Amino acid sequence: MKKTKSSKILIITFLVIPVLHLLIFSYIPIISNVYLSFTDYRGTGVPKWVGLRNYRRLLTDPQYIMIFKNCLWYMVVAIPQLIFAFVLAVFVNGKFRGLNLFKSILIIPYLLNGVIVSTIFIIFFNNSGTLNTILEAIGLTGLKRQWLQSLKLVNPSIASISIWRYYGMNFIMFFGGLQTVPAELYEAAAVDGCSKWKEIRYISIPSIRNILFINILLSISGSIQVFEIPYIMMNGSNGTVTPVIQIQQSAFSDNRVGFAAALSIMVFIIVVIAVGLQSIVNKRGEEDFA
Amino acid sequence: MLRESKLYRVLRYVFLIAACLFVIIPIIPLVFMAFKTGAEYSTTDVLTPPNNWFNTYNFRYAIRVGRLPQALLNTAIILGVSLSIQVLFTTMVSYVLHRFEFRGKKIIYGLFTLTMFIPVVTTQTVVFQIVYRLKLVNKMPSVILLYSGVGIVGIYIMLNLLSSISKELDESALIDGANYFRIYRSIILPLLKPACTTLVILNGIAYYNDFYIPNLYLNKDVQTFTVALYEFFGNMATPFEIVSAAILLGIVPIGIAYLFLQKYIFYGLSGAVKS
Repeated sequence: MKKTKSSKILIITFLVIPVLHLLIFSYIPIISNVYLSFTDYRGTGVPKWVGLRNYRRLLTDPQYIMIFKNCLWYMVVAIPQLIFAFVLAVFVNGKFRGLNLFKSILIIPYLLNGVIVSTIFIIFFNNSGTLNTILEAIGLTGLKRQWLQSLKLVNPSIASISIWRYYGMNFIMFFGGLQTVPAELYEAAAVDGCSKWKEIRYISIPSIRNILFINILLSISGSIQVFEIPYIMMNGSNGTVTPVIQIQQSAFSDNRVGFAAALSIMVFIIVVIAVGLQSIVNKRGEEDFA
Repeated sequence: MLRESKLYRVLRYVFLIAACLFVIIPIIPLVFMAFKTGAEYSTTDVLTPPNNWFNTYNFRYAIRVGRLPQALLNTAIILGVSLSIQVLFTTMVSYVLHRFEFRGKKIIYGLFTLTMFIPVVTTQTVVFQIVYRLKLVNKMPSVILLYSGVGIVGIYIMLNLLSSISKELDESALIDGANYFRIYRSIILPLLKPACTTLVILNGIAYYNDFYIPNLYLNKDVQTFTVALYEFFGNMATPFEIVSAAILLGIVPIGIAYLFLQKYIFYGLSGAVKS
């Protein structure tokens, strides 16, 4: 479109507020965080430069190494989560009786907030809760555990909640991907006498390879940002602290803003790597809008 | 998908029913508990249904003590205001990015894109200080302000639709004497409605369910629905059957929204993924 004075005015008025918002609430904070992470800033006064001290603490103190280890559990459970979501998407992709009912039920967890999910799973993992009650009912009394009290079991237990809570998002993404596969491809396969299993192996899986990879990376960047479930269910007790709980604790309860900034930057770096790879994958399908 | 063997069809139902049980079983005890009396709660196990399905005591108690109606109203206000602002600004930014060539366009687009790399949780140490200096902590505008920003997902959704709206439409309007604002207002905005719906649903669910931001910026007196539920949960003095009732009430608004928006939610979500 031609460049005129009126177009200039429109461009500026339409962009100025959103861009300012972006700078004030995203870019300036992340840049100040980089600076603060090298200081001992406590929320007031002048920040004193301490070099790499905050980072050294984070990487050597066992108390803080543990919080990154906790994240690993959330990455581990992403594997069954993605497999489950994928199988579900393959089965749902088709026409059959009850399709809509199944979809409505399967999407429920995605719609529930962290407080609701936490309450459901407090009941689930309690000593006389759903899981132990079921184990007893089917005669597996020997498998009953104190899921949330045991230091060994608490992290895998609460991490596994992610499967229930987030598989729906993966499922929707896989389903969306499968829907874009042209029907002729399946028809051609059918004409060639290809079995359903071969069809899944040679058509469905390759066609959503990118989406699968994006989901893996999403899980990684999600794992490093886990907050709600361990915070609401455990308040970070019993060794369930995650980086984001620690950031909140350090910055807003202990006034160790410099330290919290350093931890924020570490989370940021991990997210940058995961999301960076993701956008490289995405790039292939991206549209040219300009 | 022409012929599915019988085995495949059977397997499908077995798997889908198992998946539904996996979803529903953890929720069942919560529903049971909300209708149990205190005595029943302590004597029966979690998978025993309540004696009286019409016992509404827990619900009435939860509503009275938890100030849930007030919290729900707060959430409605926050969602209404911030989503309106966000959607409006998203259409404006997308219109400019799609229809105009200007210096710095690549930079602006880059700035919006790169926010993908900056998770909210990594900036709050500093953002909190900014909000604090604006004297907005413990007030609803703090959350509204943070929710009103234009996100890249929203821009993608809009750009996707904009590329299917013919530029000739704009040009002929221009020849007819309409100015750019008029074109945006009377041609672009109405045509962007489906994308706006998608964005409202996506972020409506996200903001309704958000716990992190309102928990950080609001106190007991001004609370969103999600955090009001958390207050219940965190208060050890509250009997658990009351907590269950409150939580079950918490599912009601989203359940109603879901019933009405079911079709849009599913396709909105998978549509957003595709774009």
